[in-house]
Amino acid sequence: MPPDRRTLQVARVEAVGAYTLLVLRNDGGEVGAPGQFFMLQADPEPHGAYLPRALSAAWADAGEIAFLLDVRGDGTAALVGAAQVSVLGPLGHGFELHHGPAILVGGGIGAAILPWLVRDLPGPVTTLLGFREQRHAVCAALIDADATVVLEPTYVTEPLARLLPADATVYACGPDAMLQAVAALCAEHAVPCLLAMEAAMACGFGACYGCAVEIDGEWKRLCIEGPVLEAGRVLAGGHDG
Amino acid sequence: MGSLATRFCGVDLAHPVLNGSGTLDALAAGTLGVSAFVTKTVTLNPRAGNPPQRIAETPQGMVNSIGLANPGLERFCDEHLPRLADLGVPLIVSGGGWSREEYAVAVRRIGAHPAVAALELNVSCPNVDTGCISIGTDPAETRALLERCRAETERPLLAKLSPSVADVSAVALAAAEGGAAGLVLINTVRGMAIDRDTLQPLLGGGGGGLSGPAVKPVALHAIFHCRAVTGLPIVGVGGVACAQDCLEFASAGANVVALGTALFRNPGLVEEVVAELPGLLERHGVSTLDDVVGRAHHHQGKALLEVDANHS
Repeated sequence: MPPDRRTLQVARVEAVGAYTLLVLRNDGGEVGAPGQFFMLQADPEPHGAYLPRALSAAWADAGEIAFLLDVRGDGTAALVGAAQVSVLGPLGHGFELHHGPAILVGGGIGAAILPWLVRDLPGPVTTLLGFREQRHAVCAALIDADATVVLEPTYVTEPLARLLPADATVYACGPDAMLQAVAALCAEHAVPCLLAMEAAMACGFGACYGCAVEIDGEWKRLCIEGPVLEAGRVLAGGHDG
Repeated sequence: MGSLATRFCGVDLAHPVLNGSGTLDALAAGTLGVSAFVTKTVTLNPRAGNPPQRIAETPQGMVNSIGLANPGLERFCDEHLPRLADLGVPLIVSGGGWSREEYAVAVRRIGAHPAVAALELNVSCPNVDTGCISIGTDPAETRALLERCRAETERPLLAKLSPSVADVSAVALAAAEGGAAGLVLINTVRGMAIDRDTLQPLLGGGGGGLSGPAVKPVALHAIFHCRAVTGLPIVGVGGVACAQDCLEFASAGANVVALGTALFRNPGLVEEVVAELPGLLERHGVSTLDDVVGRAHHHQGKALLEVDANHS
């Protein structure tokens, strides 16, 4: 059963370079684990956006749930302009937090979900971030003050390649092409790798079949199987076991 | 205050709110309070479905191109049906196919299961090139399909029709003549979405099926005409999003309604609608949804169909 939808008040909205931070006042409700996601819709419902938006939190606890958004259309614009937001979640499977060293890899707005991991991972963390332009990279300060940041045309896989092999687990979120490249590098060096993936989603609880992604060699619903998956389950051209 | 309990095609229902086929996976999410569970369409062979992107938001709705993804008849009957039978609500299994014989095989097998209350024949999926959609655009094919399937089961057969045809009431009449016990109106309307930046189709399959409040007037019109022409009981579906919509669909001719796209936004919606219905019915001076069914067909003592026909 999906959890009950609840309405949370917007605590604050801040510009973070090209992105926007939306902080909701949590009512003590369940927040789940980093990498799980919520279906968010401005309340009252915006005229121009019929469906809720699937977003993973930047961080969350009993007091607040924060989201870093790339405001692109009517739905995200309505969210950052709302006084309250309807929230369904947490949904799906988040990151399993391994002990030992961690390498976090974020690309673009995919970096939005990393602050919570940095906070909760028990071992030492190395953070690698890639962005299109400097204005997108402003959010790095929210994630990890010591992060290695690269801008296009340099890809975040370059600093990752220099770190591997490593006795670490890689946690990655970003565009599909980046995730495939990260997965391939990790497979090459036999480094455990978890990917937080993204797909267009209408419901978030398995009803619409819209978020199909090739998982284990067949189309499966990302909201049910993921959105966090072991890289081997989605690596193009084969599986590493 | 009246009761919401009703009877549809011989199936007793606690209330008149169902789910549309393909809009709820009760094994993953539970029944969410529906009075009967309608399955996603099952085909003889397993189908992986269409490549992503499968959905896109559109004004007051969405387009989808799922492509009848399903585990196939064998696995559905062996693995899914026994678990669906434990849900505690009547089951309406939706079947599709590429030939009369494929439908017949599915109907025989599914109809033999004691937990199945009724079968829906999907002759209207917009996301496959041939098969069910081409059957549902042709009255003669639809009649022949219903006759063929009628011979395979005692269970009520419901024909789910597409509004993306020249005259849906002609197809509905053919379904009635072939032995349909009821109709499900409407399947999604053929539609498309273009990416605002790339100007390319958003859906992997190119086009898809439009659903949500955007199609509600299309659904009401199809229900109104099919009811007038066939007199068959109807599951009204297509943009139903609140208790008020239930009354409007009933007035057009639907006996019960199904929620689809609106459920994606709010999985608590069935319970909200069911809670709101009795008060809304009372405000209209009636005690059951049955009292509203077909009300739109007569206005100031005149039958509206002829008037409407001149404007369609």
